[in-house]
Amino acid sequence: MAWDLIFWVLCFFINIALLASSFYQLLSLSDLEADHLNPFEATTRINSIVLPDFLLQAFLCLSFLLTWHWFMFLFTLPITAYHLMLYLNRKHLLDVTEIFRDLNTEKKYRFVKLAVYLLLFTVVLFRLVISASTLYTMKSMFIHIDFWGSTVGGICKLVIRIF
Amino acid sequence: MGTENPGRPSFPMRPSSTPFASAPPTVRPFSSSGPLAGSESSNFRPTSPGAPPTMTPFSAAGPSPPARFSDPSVPSPPIKPVPPFGMPYHQFPTHPFPSAAQIPPNRAPPVGQPPFQPPATQVSVPPPSFRQQTQVPLVPMGSPPQNANFPLPSMNVPQPPSDSSLSGPRPNFQPPFPGYPNKQPAVSQAPPPFPAQQGSFMPPPAPPSPFPSQQGSYGPPPRQSLTEDFSSLSVASVPGSIDPAFDHRTLPRPLDGDEVPSSFLEMYPMNCDPRYLRLTTSAIPNSQSLLSRWHLPLGAVVCPLAEAPEGEEVPVINFTSTGIIRCRRCRTYVNPYVTFTDAGRKWRCNICSLLNDVPGEYFANLDATGRRIDLDQRPELIKGSVEFVAPTEYMVRPPMPPLYFFLIDVSISAVRSGMIEVVAQTIRSCLDELPGFPRTQIGFITYDSTIHFYNMKANLDDIFVPLPDDLLVNLSESRNVVETFLDSLPSMFQDNVNVESAFGPALKAAFMVMSQLGGKLLIFQNSLPSLGVGRLKLRGDDLRVYGTDKEHILRLPEDPFYKQMAADLTKYQIGINIYAFSDKYTDIASLGTLAKYTGGQVYYYPSFQSGIHGEKLRHELARDLTRETAWEAVMRIRCGKGIRFTTYHGNFMLRSTDLLALPAVDCDKAYAMQLSLEETLLTTQTVYFQVALLYTASCGERRIRVHTAAAPVVTDLGEMYRQADTGAIVSLFCRLAIERTLTSKLEDARNSLQLRIVKALREYRNLYAVQHRLGTRMIYPESLKFLCLYGLALSKSVPLKGGYADAQLDERCAAGFTMMALPVKKLLKLLYPSLIRIDEYLLKPSAEADDDFKNIMKRLPLVAECLDSRGLYIYDDGFRFVIWFGRMLSPDIAKNLLGSDFAAELSRVILTEQDNEMSRRLMKI
Repeated sequence: MAWDLIFWVLCFFINIALLASSFYQLLSLSDLEADHLNPFEATTRINSIVLPDFLLQAFLCLSFLLTWHWFMFLFTLPITAYHLMLYLNRKHLLDVTEIFRDLNTEKKYRFVKLAVYLLLFTVVLFRLVISASTLYTMKSMFIHIDFWGSTVGGICKLVIRIF
Repeated sequence: MGTENPGRPSFPMRPSSTPFASAPPTVRPFSSSGPLAGSESSNFRPTSPGAPPTMTPFSAAGPSPPARFSDPSVPSPPIKPVPPFGMPYHQFPTHPFPSAAQIPPNRAPPVGQPPFQPPATQVSVPPPSFRQQTQVPLVPMGSPPQNANFPLPSMNVPQPPSDSSLSGPRPNFQPPFPGYPNKQPAVSQAPPPFPAQQGSFMPPPAPPSPFPSQQGSYGPPPRQSLTEDFSSLSVASVPGSIDPAFDHRTLPRPLDGDEVPSSFLEMYPMNCDPRYLRLTTSAIPNSQSLLSRWHLPLGAVVCPLAEAPEGEEVPVINFTSTGIIRCRRCRTYVNPYVTFTDAGRKWRCNICSLLNDVPGEYFANLDATGRRIDLDQRPELIKGSVEFVAPTEYMVRPPMPPLYFFLIDVSISAVRSGMIEVVAQTIRSCLDELPGFPRTQIGFITYDSTIHFYNMKANLDDIFVPLPDDLLVNLSESRNVVETFLDSLPSMFQDNVNVESAFGPALKAAFMVMSQLGGKLLIFQNSLPSLGVGRLKLRGDDLRVYGTDKEHILRLPEDPFYKQMAADLTKYQIGINIYAFSDKYTDIASLGTLAKYTGGQVYYYPSFQSGIHGEKLRHELARDLTRETAWEAVMRIRCGKGIRFTTYHGNFMLRSTDLLALPAVDCDKAYAMQLSLEETLLTTQTVYFQVALLYTASCGERRIRVHTAAAPVVTDLGEMYRQADTGAIVSLFCRLAIERTLTSKLEDARNSLQLRIVKALREYRNLYAVQHRLGTRMIYPESLKFLCLYGLALSKSVPLKGGYADAQLDERCAAGFTMMALPVKKLLKLLYPSLIRIDEYLLKPSAEADDDFKNIMKRLPLVAECLDSRGLYIYDDGFRFVIWFGRMLSPDIAKNLLGSDFAAELSRVILTEQDNEMSRRLMKI
């Protein structure tokens, strides 16, 4: 039971990390657009976190699958698949020479990702709370069950003895 | 229309010539003759009555040559048929642009006797053309606007008899154009006899004046008159080149080379010269809905350092005391369009309309008309192009000296081809002319499988440990060492048998040496980089890839190393020029990336042999080394509120959204950009553009070159088309299409190009078709008369043409990189090279010849018929001369030019100056 809670806490933190990374990338791109950052620096910044970002996302997706959380898995699958496609086409890194041409699409892509992660965040938070509360109620239930168990057991023993 | 008409004479005869509104009336007069026309009209398709009539005369000639001709030729009418062909041209004379439109040399002769000559040529036309005629109907070659059409029917009337007779033989012809087919003979079909006549023929710019008189009696004349109306409308009847049925001789051909629209300059005399900045249309649409109906690109082509003719150099201004005057908000530089107010104490920025204070030292009183009294002493307030000397705020470091670094491949193929020798000699001969003496720096690295560094400081006797400082030296201080080195370079590697090429590591080494200063890096590469970082694989030999979706990958750099390297090089102000020589695949797509993002250029000499290509290399390298170059430059183009430059095309790297980084830029580089409207409706009357190039001149001065231009905002689509600049449009199209080939198939790139031209012309047609009943003819604005031609030329150019077999992958990529950087004029010349017949000139006695040298230099249209097998021609596309020897060329000429062994192998002949007058004269050309 506690495992479930631990799992959701882990997901929660991974999700926050993903959110932060998307946000940071988006911020770098906006800075670039506003000329507060030069393209060399912006691409180095973004490119350095692209792969960790991908790995984290893949890990999250995989863990949903392995823990049999079908809905969550399907929810994260599209992004993972898109990442995989980008990676296989070697398009996952920003091209410093053409960055301004791709700026809008790159921003759009990261906006979408940010939105998805926000949605995921609410879902994960919800599940976290549920699992925490169930754990709590379960605990009280356990006591309850123990009590009932013992009484039932006692009754049983009693009945057996009688017979 | 009114605006365009001013120049053209009014023809009394034809009311139609007046603006469109008048058109209806004109029609009626004709209609009277209508009955006749009606009878004929049955033959002709009703829809396109106008066009047919004019054509008919010809057609008749075509099918039943002898009989018909006699008829028409005798009376004045026959004459007229000719004019129709010329029609499009004719119109021009009336136009404001007349001079440009007509190519004086070729056409001039015909003009005199326009009527008669044409028939003759037509007669000769072979019948086969007929088939083509049938197609005519399909073609929407709009003849001039509706006005023209109406009159045409009337014109037909007279001819009916002849036509009917003709029609009998060829039922298919329904279209009135039968005549056309005759002329049509496609280029390939061109009958040999024609050539001579054609030259004269094509032009036949019928003088407008004759028409009016003829009109009454004859059908054809009316049409012409109508066409003139059109011309006034700036519409001309031109058959699409697509249409086989149409006479190629009537097609407009840019024999005068590039025509720069002049109306723009006239309207805003203080604009910078079009050689610096050209807009695709000098009428900016005022709304997005209008823009969406302009299917051509809206943008500009900028060549900031274009060579100015003697006496028109850009004035250099030094604002030492006041600092450079710029708008506080938008940073616009002071220019002729700013207005001074408040008794001269304030000036209003023309781009963002902010009121700025005039610095005390810059103050001058205003005269009664509100102009500054010191206007004459202030070139920045009268001229569209000026150069400011930039103070230290504009420098991030002291201005760099001009720096040339050479990276030379010395592997076996380089030695064998003689490349090293030519390069060494050329560099040596250019040492004196390198710009920036005495600050010029120079350095060399050679490489094969190893990298060789050369200490340029030490005496060869001294022992030295190579220090980075010794690799790059001041030319004037180490002149002797450099010369000695260059002298010995060819022999140094004479016996080299190394076949490897450590290109990547050598490039990195050069980068490290240069990164302190920046400069220009010239790379002479002879084989596929095979060692170390950046090594490349053979690609493109898998035929299955071609024609698939993966094809474009072959045109992209294979290894991300090249893009990354290019970015780093730009960052350190290093510009790269690639010279590639291999006969085998060298992956120009990857190598060229270096040049593309550093503002450089790619020169490609397939299978270089010093004997054949040596001269070309020598010339291009010398030009590269000695032309005036701007160093560590950045360029920005500003424009008024409501519009914005969104995309940039060319060889450069964007430093920020609108800042082009150009480590080394010179007069042979142009950059294109596209505009978009930010607001749905523009409220201003005029928009302004300002190009600013901040650079370090070779002399060590930091300068800002500023070009300012204004363009009117219009609400009328027709006006946009009339003010269009074909050269700029083609240049932008070219860049867009080449970029397209990097992401999709060649075919897609060509199709999208064609589609846009077709859409644009259809839009234009819709503009006039309703009121004027154009029938099946195609119409186009005067300003775009060459658009179709250049569009076709573009899709046949090396980067775009055909499929796999039509051009080597390397050649394609190299041409693509080259065309991305070409200024408008050179691009147009490349797309439509000049063809000049020179044998007659060479045979003339010298004195006489000198006189009419100018006459000789007229360009011929590029059609097969123009090539006479007895002639000697020069074909010049700006990059090379092809000398075409007719098969029946007189042996005398050949011998004189080529020496006694001319029969050997013409393609390998080196044109050396033989010891005779004739060849000397040729070389002079």
